[in-house]
Amino acid sequence: MTEATANTGAPQERRSRGLSEKGLAFWMVSPSMVLIALVAAYPIIYAIWLSLHEYSVRVAGLSRWAEPFGLGNYQAALQNADFWNAMVTTLIFTVASVFLELLIGLAMAMAMHAAFKGQGLLRTVVLVPWAVLTVVTAIMWRTIFESPQGFVNQIIGGDTVWLGSEPQALIVIIIADVWKTAPFMALLILAGLQVIPSDIYEAAKVDGATAWQRFRKITLPLLTPAILVALIFRTLDALRIFDLPYVLTKGANGTTTLSLIAQETFATNRIYGLGAAYSILTFITVMIVSFTYIWTVGGNIRGLAED
Amino acid sequence: MATEAAVAERAEPRTKTKKAPKPQGGTPWWMWIAIAAIVVFCLFPFYWLVNLSLKTGADLGDSSLFPPNPTLANYESIFNNSDFTRALLNSAIISLSTTALALLVGSFCAYALARLRFRFKFGILALVLSITTFPAIAIAAPLFRLWSDIGIYNTLIGLIIPNLTFALPLAIYILVSFFKEIPKDLEEAALVDGATHFVAFRKVVVPLAAPGLATAGILTFIATWNEFLLAITLTSSPAARPVPAAIAFFTGSTQFEIPYGTITAASVTISVPLILLVLFFQKRIVAGLTAGAVKG
Amino acid sequence: MTKRLMLMLCAALLCGVFVAACGDDSSSSGGGGGGASEESGQTEGAKVIDPSLADNAKGEVTYCQGKDTSGNAHYMIDEFNKKYGPDLKAKLVEFPASADEQRTQFIQRQQAKSGDCDVFSSDVIWTAEFASQKWLYDMSPYMEDKKADYIEAPVETVTYDGKIWGVPESSDAGLLYYNTSKVKEIPATWQEVYEQAKSKGGIVYQGAAYEGLTCDFLELFFGAGGEVLSEDGTKSAFAEGDAGVKALQFMVDGVKDGAAPKAVTTYMEPESLTAFQTGKPAYMRNWPYAYALNQKAKNVKGKFDVGPQPTFEGGEKAGILGGHNSVISVYSKNPGGALKLIEHIGSPEIQKAYAAQFSLSPVRADVYDDPEVQKAIPFATQLREGITNARARPVSPVYPQISQAIYKNVNAALSGQQSPEDAIKQANSDIEKALSTF
Repeated sequence: MTEATANTGAPQERRSRGLSEKGLAFWMVSPSMVLIALVAAYPIIYAIWLSLHEYSVRVAGLSRWAEPFGLGNYQAALQNADFWNAMVTTLIFTVASVFLELLIGLAMAMAMHAAFKGQGLLRTVVLVPWAVLTVVTAIMWRTIFESPQGFVNQIIGGDTVWLGSEPQALIVIIIADVWKTAPFMALLILAGLQVIPSDIYEAAKVDGATAWQRFRKITLPLLTPAILVALIFRTLDALRIFDLPYVLTKGANGTTTLSLIAQETFATNRIYGLGAAYSILTFITVMIVSFTYIWTVGGNIRGLAED
Repeated sequence: MATEAAVAERAEPRTKTKKAPKPQGGTPWWMWIAIAAIVVFCLFPFYWLVNLSLKTGADLGDSSLFPPNPTLANYESIFNNSDFTRALLNSAIISLSTTALALLVGSFCAYALARLRFRFKFGILALVLSITTFPAIAIAAPLFRLWSDIGIYNTLIGLIIPNLTFALPLAIYILVSFFKEIPKDLEEAALVDGATHFVAFRKVVVPLAAPGLATAGILTFIATWNEFLLAITLTSSPAARPVPAAIAFFTGSTQFEIPYGTITAASVTISVPLILLVLFFQKRIVAGLTAGAVKG
Repeated sequence: MTKRLMLMLCAALLCGVFVAACGDDSSSSGGGGGGASEESGQTEGAKVIDPSLADNAKGEVTYCQGKDTSGNAHYMIDEFNKKYGPDLKAKLVEFPASADEQRTQFIQRQQAKSGDCDVFSSDVIWTAEFASQKWLYDMSPYMEDKKADYIEAPVETVTYDGKIWGVPESSDAGLLYYNTSKVKEIPATWQEVYEQAKSKGGIVYQGAAYEGLTCDFLELFFGAGGEVLSEDGTKSAFAEGDAGVKALQFMVDGVKDGAAPKAVTTYMEPESLTAFQTGKPAYMRNWPYAYALNQKAKNVKGKFDVGPQPTFEGGEKAGILGGHNSVISVYSKNPGGALKLIEHIGSPEIQKAYAAQFSLSPVRADVYDDPEVQKAIPFATQLREGITNARARPVSPVYPQISQAIYKNVNAALSGQQSPEDAIKQANSDIEKALSTF
């Protein structure tokens, strides 16, 4: 590391006192890096190691390299219909919930923006779903949909066994996730709405634009950055979903997601190698989306990384 | 959790928020309906939970909107249940420790990233951001084997460590934006007066960053409190089991019924502190969460 | 200076990787070569219990079982503490009600080598799996002279690879309960039962996607003449003949025609019991424990009875043999205390109380003849006959996967997602896959 000149314009003598900027940076950053290497990198490496082996389910302590070239588990995973079902279920859930959250969030934000009384109280109310634990959310919605203590069938009639049928079970999970997150999206969008200067709207009104045209040509484009950020990260959250399906249905009736099938294979069926392979495949799926986002749109990292 | 990271990109509470000017004339009638709809949407399911928690016995099966014989029996029984109270304690210890550690270690890293000049900044930030998007399942399985081998399975420390995997990057990411917001002149002044970077950090930046630290702390605390997958994988007994895992395994205190009464009472109980937290820090939370999305 | 530090850090990381790799290798012992010989020799080297350990046992011993819906576990623990406390105290830890969840809880602890549970109430179907993983003490020396006291069928469920791995605790056989205000007696065949159920309030059973459904399905499947595994246990016989499709079609039609409520696909034992106790259904398939609980339920008290299951038309009777065995974890820190607890559970006094007060099926032959028991369980004689003749589920170290293959596909057919033919075919190939697991 070459000692670049620290252009603080400070007098030359100051540099001899204490650490140089680069040195200080190193010591401030390295604890975090070491910690991250330990708690994040190490388990991932170990998981990859596990996924390259087969561990006997029948005989205690017996294991072997997963032929061919250690990729046997990945081969089995990618040829397994269960895995692809989990992938499809996860994708359906992701698309449906993110889309609904965006829509409902946008509607809520517009309403909250127009109301001028009790903003603070409204925001608190809207944060309640976010503050409630995911596990509690699952229990909450299970009690609403499950007979006999639930009332959904009473209101809309019919005798659907919500959590016991396909695709109703997935619908319940989507509803639970949308309830939890749409208000949060509303807050993000609301913040975006609040900085759009009203003069633009005034000018548009003068020009004779209708409410719909004002929405389409002013509101949406100016909101796009905020929406994009929230969209990407909601997608990443949805791809990893575990809590809701686990508590609501344990993955039964077509609600097994990627995280769920990995956990089931590993913990319940004791097929460690394959379970690790599923975990890594889930990891890769999520990371592909994550890295694509970071390297193309870059989030705010570029701005943050500027000196 | 990643969502919060995404948008918690800037600093101070929005004292500078430019609110759109209020519309002329009164609130249209449909506005009240919309507001009412929002309130019902957000609060009704939680009300349903409270409703069930006040019922016992046969009442639990009749899906009525109000408890016919409201009773606090369920709450009594869960607080007499040592497993549950132990779980509350475990969660508190795990969340507080993780938050404290994440803030401590993360603030140093965040300051360096925000203020000091060195290479690989984009790389480090990208790494930090991507770790907040890790699927927990990827580390759950290897950690289970590792912890069993070194003997910290079913311990609090065994949960604090993996929770840091998500808490630390989250804290760093939030704090970097906060630190960047702090005007440089104060630090410059301190440096000119002869302080080292570290002293400037300690005496000038940290106090100014208090709101940022608070926001990061609250968000990290809530995220850790919420963590479920690692909680059920790495614990097996009430000794170390945190609240989300304990609730999922509630066998209830009564032997003869599906314990919806006690499960919902427990659910309400653990939601109340978080809702209070939100109530008091609502401005700060919203400001922190949304500021970035706007300027971003 | 900093460069060296960076290098050291990288080296440390790399060492970490190698430690993970090497650390893992040491746990993979030679073992008995890729699964060639099936059940023999796998349990070599398992820890053997020393019966004399029980003599001076003291300290604490933890007993783990599923949710104590009947109350018998609390009773048993209280009696134990009265007798042996304060030197030796027993503690009860309850797992969730579902058998699958209990298994997950136990194997999680065993994989973590935790001594949390000294004694575990193991479902009869898990013996092969747990023994082959060497998670249990070999109890053969202890059971040598006590075998004769027990009914043979339960002892068989705890035997594997020529050794005995626990002590029978309670037995179980699938029974048919009926509401006497709607139905006078159990007809001769299942077909007639369902026919009656259509108009008299329905039949409830365990139809959720879990182990309970495997039991309920196999009762009809075995009754129709089916077999799950081949003679030597290495191949699947599930799809041979038409027993599978016949039995499954029968169940599916039952749901379609309304003989069984649609919600039955979400029922486990507690839900089916709650449903029966509302007084509406005419029939319930459940285990003997439900008898005592029904006597406490106000809508069915005095208005119900129970009997062995009927014949599957054109086939035979086939109640499933259930039950639990007390097993000792090899990671237990108090095997002596554990042995004392097991002795207590198997004692005539506790076995009698289990039967008389909680309507659990005792595993000691003599208990059935006790007049108190006969009074408390009017169907005691039929129960013993039922247990003696009950059919056991397939014995295999990969039984959980075999069961999954069955219950996942049967549940899919019951909820209309799959046709019975496809479900049987899929289950068969899933069983084949399970049998060929490494």
